[in-house]
Amino acid sequence: MMQRFLFFLLFAITLFLMSCENPKESRNWKQASWQEIEQQANDTTVNFMMWQGSPIVNDYINNYVKPTLKEKHNITLNISSGQGPEIVQLMMGEKQAGSEKGQVDMVWINGETFFQLRKIEGLWGPFTEKLPNSQYIDFNNPFIGIDFQQEINGMECPWGINQFAFVYDSIKTPAPPKTLAELETFVKVNPGTFTISNDFSGMTLLKCYMAELSGSPDGLDGEFDQQKYDTLSTQLWEYINRNRKYFWKEGQTFPKEHSKMDQMFSSGEILLTYGFSEGGIEEKVLQGLFPESTKGYAWKNGTILNSNYLGITYNATNKAGAMQVINFLISPEAQLKRAEPSGMNANPVLDISKLPTEYKDKFEKITARQYGPSLDELSENAIKEPAPEYMLNIYEDFRTYVIEK
Amino acid sequence: MKNKGKHIGFVLFVVFAVLPFTLAFGYALLYSFGIIGVVNEGFTLSFWKEVFTSGTLGTSFLYSGIIAAVGVFLSVSLALWVVLKFKEGFNNKYLSFIIYMPLAVPGIVSAFFTYQLFAQSGFFARLSYQLNWIETAQQFPDLVNDNWAIGIIITFISLLTPFFILLYLNIYKDERIEELSQLSRALGANKKQIALKVSLPIMLKKSWVLIVLYFIFLLGAYEVPLILGQESPQMLSVLILRELKQFDLTKTSEGYVMAVVYTVVIMSATIFIFSRKKLRNNAY
Repeated sequence: MMQRFLFFLLFAITLFLMSCENPKESRNWKQASWQEIEQQANDTTVNFMMWQGSPIVNDYINNYVKPTLKEKHNITLNISSGQGPEIVQLMMGEKQAGSEKGQVDMVWINGETFFQLRKIEGLWGPFTEKLPNSQYIDFNNPFIGIDFQQEINGMECPWGINQFAFVYDSIKTPAPPKTLAELETFVKVNPGTFTISNDFSGMTLLKCYMAELSGSPDGLDGEFDQQKYDTLSTQLWEYINRNRKYFWKEGQTFPKEHSKMDQMFSSGEILLTYGFSEGGIEEKVLQGLFPESTKGYAWKNGTILNSNYLGITYNATNKAGAMQVINFLISPEAQLKRAEPSGMNANPVLDISKLPTEYKDKFEKITARQYGPSLDELSENAIKEPAPEYMLNIYEDFRTYVIEK
Repeated sequence: MKNKGKHIGFVLFVVFAVLPFTLAFGYALLYSFGIIGVVNEGFTLSFWKEVFTSGTLGTSFLYSGIIAAVGVFLSVSLALWVVLKFKEGFNNKYLSFIIYMPLAVPGIVSAFFTYQLFAQSGFFARLSYQLNWIETAQQFPDLVNDNWAIGIIITFISLLTPFFILLYLNIYKDERIEELSQLSRALGANKKQIALKVSLPIMLKKSWVLIVLYFIFLLGAYEVPLILGQESPQMLSVLILRELKQFDLTKTSEGYVMAVVYTVVIMSATIFIFSRKKLRNNAY
């Protein structure tokens, strides 16, 4: 009798404990209504891993997003520092350890990381349709709804959109090169003033060059084509090796990171740099890093235009909270603040024509950039991000056929 | 009581040093054979084959070895010269402060400092420009991210020399080299003979193990070659980290192969050095 009672007691305790085990996350949030999500998100903490390399972005997050989220939704936003590789390493580690309760709820990623996270199934979703503010986003825009030639399918939510641009000092370089043929002449006339960073930005540059070699801005569109890649990459490595003696340090080494190129550009060591966010010119001129005569432009054949996104991790412990935060970040209010010229000066990812009149007017009133080019100016020369396999191969082959040669 | 203390020490050593190391090494070993790893598909020798056929690891070992050897050799030589030449000067409070100050500077700060001073857009390049010695930044000699790893070696010297100066000053005092030198002089030895036959052999013999350990330390240096090195060849730690964080996740295991090889080589070398009793007993 006693034994049976004990057995029942143990069974009851186990059942109780099992039902207590994180009741919030036992819910299937994909089926829940937005009202339920909002209720659940109230008075919770969301852990957000993001790149913290820009003081202006940090200022936006710390002094606008955090207090507004607290005030409006009673959510505490915790920021931890980490970008692409760190996020992927963390997710891989947690997957490996079979961790069901992740350290991070949401992440700020681009196509490169999205590709990696999808490979290890590190993201939770689809969720974008759940967000009320996603109605203002045009998911049919190929630069938004398609990331690295693959549909996002609601697994990540667009947060910003920007274009890769070339950066030069209009006083030192009145006529910068806009084609590979012009670049060849440029490096011969100005030896040591051009280089390719061995990172994401440099590889994006090489993709733009490869598109030019293909003969058209959309030459790399569609699925990865090994034969096309082999032909074009052979031409590209031949072009670089032929001209590298006129590059920075006579092409014997290449800078590890793009940020170093910006420093070298500001000190006058190189004459041409490049980067996403339309070259990041406005921010760097206002910071005093670049001279006021700095200008940006797109390559004649085009430069890559892409979006950056917010994702929810597969093992997020607060998925409802993460959805609420992401919904806030794509709200007209938060995107307007993000676009302010005195602040982040970022392009809104929203389709302005879909917004309520009140916000339409506000977005239209935003003053133009003083130094950097606007997305509209460059959009004529925008090309889509090619399939991720191009990036994989370029990374590997740039090292094999150029750096180590 | 003493025995008990010994036991606790041993347990702590196992728990905090041996166990984590063994687990990490086991993890890397399994990863290198593809047995674990989110994108791996099971046991394979392909990662080992790839690493050994590509030759990158071998080149990196050689490159790191040469840089570490040159760095240690120059630091030790400089420290010996300074101690033998200026030993009295260290009684001066200010001079000793200047010499010891770099000991407090972390490697990463030192590397940035070297970059700011010696880059083609750095302090010395700007000074040379102001003095009309050069007309463009490119004319300034290539001292960072360069082919000869000059920037890395300069930084290693700045980090190691103060330590060796401190060490040799102590050896000089403890081994009573001053008295031995006086004795040699009394027996008719000249300055050169005293330095080469008395002071240097004692100091080197007493510091031999530390010199080797510092060589191993430099072999695995990370921040300094990361900031001041070139993209190819790269020093070992930079190479291994690069492989571990590469874009193609299917090749992450190659980084673990390199980490395993590096650990085995360094552990073997360390065990070999410490198992030679004679050296250990003579060491400082």
